[in-house]
Amino acid sequence: MIVTPRIFARLAVAVVLAVLLQLSFFSRVELIHTNADILPAVVVSLGLLGGSMTGALAGFSVGFLVDCLLVAPLGGSSLVLLGVGYLAGLFRERFDIHSPLLPPLICMGLTLAAELGFGAVQVMLGLDAPVSPLIVRDMLLKSIYAFFCAWPIYFGLRRLLRPALVEEPAQLTRRRQPTVLGARKA
Amino acid sequence: MYRKQVRRRRAVLTLLILGSFLLLTITYGQTSGGSVQRGVSTIFSPLQSVADRALKPARDLVDWFDKTFEARGENSDLKAELVTARRQAVAGQEALQENAQLRKLVELDRNPPLAESAYKAVTGQVIGRSPTVWSSTVTVDVGSGDGVRVDDPVISGDGLVGTVASTQGGSSQVTLITDHASAVSAKVLPGGVQGLVRPEIGNPEDLILDFIDSTKQVHGGQTVVTSGWRAQGLSSLYPPGLPIGEVTDASIVTQVARQQVHLKPYGDIANLDLVQVLTEGSRG
Repeated sequence: MIVTPRIFARLAVAVVLAVLLQLSFFSRVELIHTNADILPAVVVSLGLLGGSMTGALAGFSVGFLVDCLLVAPLGGSSLVLLGVGYLAGLFRERFDIHSPLLPPLICMGLTLAAELGFGAVQVMLGLDAPVSPLIVRDMLLKSIYAFFCAWPIYFGLRRLLRPALVEEPAQLTRRRQPTVLGARKA
Repeated sequence: MYRKQVRRRRAVLTLLILGSFLLLTITYGQTSGGSVQRGVSTIFSPLQSVADRALKPARDLVDWFDKTFEARGENSDLKAELVTARRQAVAGQEALQENAQLRKLVELDRNPPLAESAYKAVTGQVIGRSPTVWSSTVTVDVGSGDGVRVDDPVISGDGLVGTVASTQGGSSQVTLITDHASAVSAKVLPGGVQGLVRPEIGNPEDLILDFIDSTKQVHGGQTVVTSGWRAQGLSSLYPPGLPIGEVTDASIVTQVARQQVHLKPYGDIANLDLVQVLTEGSRG
């Protein structure tokens, strides 16, 4: 990804919007007693589009902002999200994404990994209460919700960052043949 | 060129990981947050308020679908509960009349515990909520400018929901009773069995009343309220008598072997919208 000041501004707006949307909307609506967590999906999508560095930096920023707004110990969410962002970016650098099904599937898998990571950080910081087995259901449902949320997130972000994507094929951005003045039709 | 790029990438990753651990080390144990967190929270709380209001119709729509599906299953259970509740209401009315007469008789006509302990309720709206199942906190749109202080109890229309963990000018973070860091001293009514209400992480519908006296029997359906103790200059964060929940599972085995019973919180913790922060009160 070629990060110009304009692209950087777009990335910052996307990150802030995602965090606000998560805290004000997705965290507060429940389907089957579980709410969706779009933040890992946003970070994974940025990693898949921009590579490991973009993914890691986006993950760190999203985590930092979330921890600031929730007044949680700083660094916990950053650590987990930079990990999933980096892994997503690494995947994109090693393999080609041929199927449109692949980004949502990766988002699903890495959302589950992120939830486990949040749990690991919480255990590391000290867990003062017993853990219910229902937490497994919650984590699985969150990853399923991430699969469905990943479609609009990934394709929306790809559209937003299209000018900066280095591997975006030219024929996708310009579908019509260029008009050559004075040329005869074949 | 490629090697240089890989080296740079690894260096940035290492730096970010180290930065995260450094931040964790610095901010771990700070209950009210550092100046950076307070600053960011102050900047973003108006944006959160706007987003909260703008997204309320969409939230209500999703809630409507969720509640409709859930209500179908609950309908038959509620009908059975209604019959029991009617009987209890009649018994309650009789008890209230008797209570008023007794109060007059012994001249103990006091105000409810809240008014007695001089708490002032500040109403706030929930504008944000933690996304993971591992922590349970909400952000409300009232802060130190409204008189809210750290450790103030927070209630909803149904009962206790949490305490204020940190506060800024126009917003506060509330640790809910379903958060792993929460512990509330409570007693069972009637009977007065004392214990500590703790959450079960991942299941906001279930709380545990722990460390109860196993020689005293607790039954399902009994009410659990805050005990609001005061001893040797120390006192509970909560006023006495705030409803917390209803005992759901009180099997002999768990009571005797683990000294605990399970309860369901009265407050709809998962769908909080309006809450009241009890400020300026004397503790306990």
